[in-house]
Parts: sequence; C-alpha cells; structure tokens
Amino acid sequence: MSIQIHNPGTLPVNDNIPGNDYAFCVDLAGTPWFTSKGAMIAYYGNVAFEPLSRTNLTAMVASQFSSPLYADDWVVAQGQGKLILGDRGYNINSFDLDDGNLTIRASNLLAFEPGLSLKQSIVPGFLTLLGTGKFLASSNGPVMFAEPPLRVDPQALVGWADCPSPSHHFDAAWMHSFLSVVGGFFGMDSDEERQFDFTGAGTVLVQSSEKVLDDGHVYRHIESQTVQLSQASLLQLHRSIGARIQT
Amino acid sequence: MAMELENYKVLKTTIQPGQRVVARQGSMLYYTGDVTFTPYSMSGGGMPGAGAIAGAAGRMMQGEHVGLMVAEGSGTVYFGRNGLYVQVIELDGTGALTVEAERLLAYEGNVQTSIVSLSSQGGVRGAVRGAVTGQGMFTTQVTGYGTVAVLSHGGTVSMTVGGAKPQVVVDPQAYVGHLGNITVDLSAQVGFRDVVGRGSGEAMQLKLSGQGTVWVQASEKKF
Repeated sequence: MSIQIHNPGTLPVNDNIPGNDYAFCVDLAGTPWFTSKGAMIAYYGNVAFEPLSRTNLTAMVASQFSSPLYADDWVVAQGQGKLILGDRGYNINSFDLDDGNLTIRASNLLAFEPGLSLKQSIVPGFLTLLGTGKFLASSNGPVMFAEPPLRVDPQALVGWADCPSPSHHFDAAWMHSFLSVVGGFFGMDSDEERQFDFTGAGTVLVQSSEKVLDDGHVYRHIESQTVQLSQASLLQLHRSIGARIQT
Repeated sequence: MAMELENYKVLKTTIQPGQRVVARQGSMLYYTGDVTFTPYSMSGGGMPGAGAIAGAAGRMMQGEHVGLMVAEGSGTVYFGRNGLYVQVIELDGTGALTVEAERLLAYEGNVQTSIVSLSSQGGVRGAVRGAVTGQGMFTTQVTGYGTVAVLSHGGTVSMTVGGAKPQVVVDPQAYVGHLGNITVDLSAQVGFRDVVGRGSGEAMQLKLSGQGTVWVQASEKKF
C-alpha cells in the first residue's frame, strides 16, 4: 500500500480528500467562506481567517450572518488557496442548496458560502440556512436521509430540510403514567419517551451518535430567551437553578 | 422480522405486530410507523426461583446489569449508540454467544440471554481472568435462534478458532465476544520488565481454544 502525498495540485476542489470521509478540501478562489472556529486543520496558499467583528467584509457579515449568539464561534476565511477542514473525526459531507432552506444542529455545521444566509432556528441549538450555495456538515457515521412521517431521538437529529419544524412527541405509555402519577415514574423510563415528530414533505438528516457536545450554543439560546420572563419568573428560575446546583 | 446494518454504525430493524426487539435503553435513533418502547428487565438467567433473584443481584453488583427496553408494534426502527460500530451476529440455535452485556445493542425477542459466572467457565482461573481484565466476574450468554447486534469500538474482525487454528490469542481489551464451544484462558506472562513499567504492554493475553468464532475489535479502548 502506498501513501499518497498531497500537494495543492492534487487536492480535490470542494470535495472529500480521496479515500478519507473525515477531511474535506475547500477551494478558496476569491470568494470568502464562513467557517466554524477550529474546523481548519491545514491549508495551502494565502488564506486569512478573520473574526466576524474584525473583517473588511462587514456588510456581507451583517446581511448573511444574522445569528448574534454564534458570532464568536465563526470566522471568515478569504484569500487564495486550498483549505482542509475536519471535525472530531466525523464524516463530512457537502450539500448544495438551490434557493432552499435547511436547518442543522449548530455543532454539526462546519462552513458555508456567503450565498447562503444563516439564521437562528426557533429550536434551541439549531441554525437555519437560506438561499443558494454550498455548505459543509459533519455527522458521526454516514448521515442517513429519511422522509417524514417519522420520529427522531433529539440527540441523533442532524437537521431537516423543506419540512415544517418538528414538534415534541411523548410515548403514549409514558404520558399515561405522567397523567395518572400513581406510578410515580418508577421504572417507567425507557429513555425514549421524548422524540421529535416530523410531518409534511421534506427530508430529515440523522446520525448514529447519541452523544452530543455540550457546546454552549443551547445555553446561550436559552439565556437569550429569558428576556421574555417577568421579574417573578426570573426569581423562580433563580431559585430552581440554585436548588439544582446544590444537589 | 429483519435485522440488518443500515451503515457500519447503525442497525435497521423491521418490526411486525406480535414481534419484539430488545434493545439497549436510549439507543433508538429514529423510527417510522407505530412503535412503542417500554422498559425491560433481563430475567435472571432463565433460572426459576431463588436462582433468578441471586442472578439479578449479582448482575447489578458486577456491572452486567444494563437498562434494556422492548420495542413493539409495526414499523422500522434504527438503533445506534455513541457512534460505536455495530456487528450483526446470527445465532442458529446450536451455540451460545458469550459477550459482555454492555456490548449488546439489540437482539430479537426470541433470543434468550442469561448471566453466567466466569468461574463456571474454568473455575478459579476464570474468576481471576474477570478480575484482572476488568470484565468483572460475570458475563452474558445469548442462546437460541435469531439475530444479535453487538457494539465495538472501531469495528470488529472475526477469527475462526479450531481446525487449522486450534488456538487464537487475543488482547483482553480488544476481545469482544465469542460464539461456539470455546474455552477462554488468561495467560499472564508478567516478568520483571512489566513490574518496573518497561514491559511490552502485552503481558495479559486471552487464549481461546476449541471450536467456534471470536470477534476482536480494532481498538483497545472500552468505549
């Protein structure tokens, strides 16, 4: 078995490194890309990584990156060269959106072209891409595409396209014991009572992992939602969190 | 009922009314159709009466107790766990599959599982093996006719034991499980170098002999 040694000429243009599902090569040729911080593992050429707050493309960032909670986690890569991206040894896939919309788990989105605009999804921890362009997403194991109607474990969900946002589904037996309370929940947990229910026409993306990074995205989303709360509710939240920290 | 691999990390099972699949709690990735998941407690080794109670108690203490659930109804369910690799093993009713309960992802409802003590397979040496390799004093045996899905870190290699290869030697941390009439023995070659920390790192070895198949994972990491 021979080892292939890459150079800028042999690296693919916007494709996985041959024989390696875990690394992806982006061809930077003038047009900038948004990339997630820490996704870059190597690059050839003259590439600059600029924080969103300190780039000369302020207008583009302001119009395309409308996700203030995530602004610290992303950079703009621009210049000429080949950029290799990787993420936790996960499989990386590129997807093309043509005037479409797709919602994806924030920690699974690696990079996207500025033809797409990024918005925070209503579902905590998820981001929505709108428009036309290419983006890169990672998944633990090959990503599976499924069509609704179906129910997904929240942790295995990568994202969804074209169909309406999911609703929560609770297992009927679990609901029954919840309502009767007599069971006291003892032994009633199969760990699968809460699922995301997808209906309508579209595609759902699922990965094999149930291990989700505690990446702070969800926390920031929830924190930003507390502005809706009244003073009394905030005090109550303060107390319940204080009680949980102590135990 | 059908149990097959969707990809190397995901198991696809098709369930029809009247059939059931037993799976690790929390391992459902997604499903279509009408399927319910209810908690399930492994019976105490198929032994009636006191044996069952002793089996359950011993299991809880020795780490062979894992939360299981039953999936019933009609539909297609996909199982996976922490991105671990899945190996599908068919049981034809003739031999028993020995595997740690922690590694079981799912199995068909008509397959039986029981907890066995390692000391029953080779007396004191078996017990010593469990203690030294960190597998505990108990392991799980799966018998019957049906399909079992087993987890591994980094994928498995299956090796035939018997015939031209009367003995296969395996690293205890890479050992996943075995099927058939196989005797497992721990061989420790602990010398002075191991004591001072300059050993080869391969002082502990599992020696498998008999007739059957052993599965070995491509990693020494235990999830």
